Amino acid sequence: MRAALMPLAAQADHVSLTSQTRIIAAALAIVFMLWILDLIRRDRLQERYSVIWFVAGLAMLAGAAFPGLLKLVADLMGVRDTNVALFSIVLLLLLGLALNFSVIMSRQAAQITRLAQERAIERAREQEAREALEKQLNGDAASKPTRD
Amino acid sequence: MEQSPPLRTLVFIPAWNEEASVDAVIADVRAHLPEADILVVDDGSTDTTTARAQAAGVIVATLPFNQGLGAALQTGYLWGLRQGYDFCAHLDADGQHPASEVARLLTEVREDRADLVIGSRYAAQAEPLPGAEPEGEDYKATWSRRIGINVFRFILTLATRQRFTDTTSGMRAANRRVMKLFSENYSPDFAEIESLQLAVREGLRVEEVPVRMLERTGGTSFLTPLRSAFFIFKGLIVILVGLFKPRRAEAER
Repeated sequence: MRAALMPLAAQADHVSLTSQTRIIAAALAIVFMLWILDLIRRDRLQERYSVIWFVAGLAMLAGAAFPGLLKLVADLMGVRDTNVALFSIVLLLLLGLALNFSVIMSRQAAQITRLAQERAIERAREQEAREALEKQLNGDAASKPTRD
Repeated sequence: MEQSPPLRTLVFIPAWNEEASVDAVIADVRAHLPEADILVVDDGSTDTTTARAQAAGVIVATLPFNQGLGAALQTGYLWGLRQGYDFCAHLDADGQHPASEVARLLTEVREDRADLVIGSRYAAQAEPLPGAEPEGEDYKATWSRRIGINVFRFILTLATRQRFTDTTSGMRAANRRVMKLFSENYSPDFAEIESLQLAVREGLRVEEVPVRMLERTGGTSFLTPLRSAFFIFKGLIVILVGLFKPRRAEAER
């Protein structure tokens, strides 16, 4: 049984990227990075949130250009199949990004809440000032006839 | 006692689409706490809550959109702090909380027996309550609610090493120390429970006072069994995480 599995394992040792996949991956990476640049240019994406995406695009390009890199990473991870290594890396990256966005969202939610509260307090102050003024004006109007 | 400027009290009422009951609650507070200023915090209502409260002659802080009870309560604490009130209290706008009971909570903080006082529906009542509203039934909890209440009671008691019976009560009274803490730090998601834990952790004196509450006049409770389960789960996480939060520098003490 074990002997029968050995050739299969040896096959999986090769980096399973054909030149066709590499070209498609490289093209996608370039389009992706151009897209990000365009988003920044049109003020649709802030620079501080673009860095991580740009790094991801570069990594994709590097992976397509030098398949050996992927093999190296897979070996470092102790994974025999480079595809598994690739998928787990991408998955972890996306997980990290999603968490990062939740953190950013939480911060912004807190900021929005505080902004709403400040606005509510401003409105209350406005009402207080307006009522004080009205009272004063009414008081003047009421006291005038008695003076005449 | 030395001569000093009179101590000022704020009563604030968080309200979200409570046009049917807000008038009555304001009138009730005026009747039982004539010395207190009233603020209604309108949590982005889509009905006429703000207009009705303004017509009743109270100041209204209107949040531009619905932000949840925690954010509304924090707005009240923030107003109390900024306007220089010495004591504050809050009660629900749906008519469940008699203002006469709020007055009893305020007495506790005014006489400096506690920094934060919680009105509890379930605490053992040692004495017959003076001035409780004769009309309406006493508060009765549904079974799903009762499970949630017991779980929180247990966990919060473990976490704070202080016995709490009514962890989600929205009837509270506080002094300036609490206003300062809550206006800076108040969880929007789990206001009632986390704030209790926070106050105890910060070394404030938190006390429960038995109160009478009335059956809600309109609307239904939002808790279905499934929601209760989710509510409990979320609460557990909040309390657990709260245990590991860094303690703030104990300024002001």
